[in-house]
Amino acid sequence: MSTQNQNQNGYMLLFRGTDLRKGLSPEELQKVTDNLMNWFKRLTEEGKAVAGNPLEREGKIVAGKDRVVSDGPFAESKEAVGGYFLLDVATMDEAVAIARECPGLPYGIRVEVRPVAGECPIAADIRAEAQFAV
Amino acid sequence: MSTQNQNGYMLLYRSDEWYEALSHKELQKVINQNKAWIDRLTAQGKARPGHALERKGAIVSGKKGRVLSDGPFAESKEAIGGYLLLDVETLEEAIAIAQSSPSLAYGTSVEVRPLAEECPLDVRARELAREEQLVHA
Repeated sequence: MSTQNQNQNGYMLLFRGTDLRKGLSPEELQKVTDNLMNWFKRLTEEGKAVAGNPLEREGKIVAGKDRVVSDGPFAESKEAVGGYFLLDVATMDEAVAIARECPGLPYGIRVEVRPVAGECPIAADIRAEAQFAV
Repeated sequence: MSTQNQNGYMLLYRSDEWYEALSHKELQKVINQNKAWIDRLTAQGKARPGHALERKGAIVSGKKGRVLSDGPFAESKEAIGGYLLLDVETLEEAIAIAQSSPSLAYGTSVEVRPLAEECPLDVRARELAREEQLVHA
């Protein structure tokens, strides 16, 4: 894995497995929530987080040529995305270091760290291909 | 489900690398359609700048965040390939925009999610605290 990559466009953190409700007391849950909020606040003050939001545990999925609308499972699924941050940091290493601070990790939250593409990677592919052809 | 939401909606695009199988000409057509679509939504004030995600990255997990794994972000149909933030007020409008996504024709699926005003964990913690009070009352 190349973790040294520089990326001008920043990184996205996607939080999965955020359905922590089972097995936690109200106090514990409140503590985790407060820790998450404080963490985000600190990253924002440091200029490292530029956006972020929890997502409601509901929504829809649109798919197929017929554009069919269906319900997700968003509440029960461990894979469901429960929120995101956008980070203004320059390296994958720094983004991973921030992900490792996530206060929800001990409770089963997983953090996906993804470089944001500057231009659509599809467009970049096709340009590279065109240059190759010339 | 309440369909009004002041905070907007997030569209999450899931797909494998379907574009690898297209010819140069087909691919250019999709790119142009997609760009025109996004430009129109942005001009209408309905979309904030969205971005594609690189088909690489890492997943951090484990109690102390020590587990670091690679994707898969390229092959999996469930992988998130990009996102768009919508400034619209109803789920219906967000769904209608999702349905007009040009990449749907190529097997992409779009998840439409309301941005939360309050963290759902916070809401649940308060509910639990109230339930406890009722039990003890």
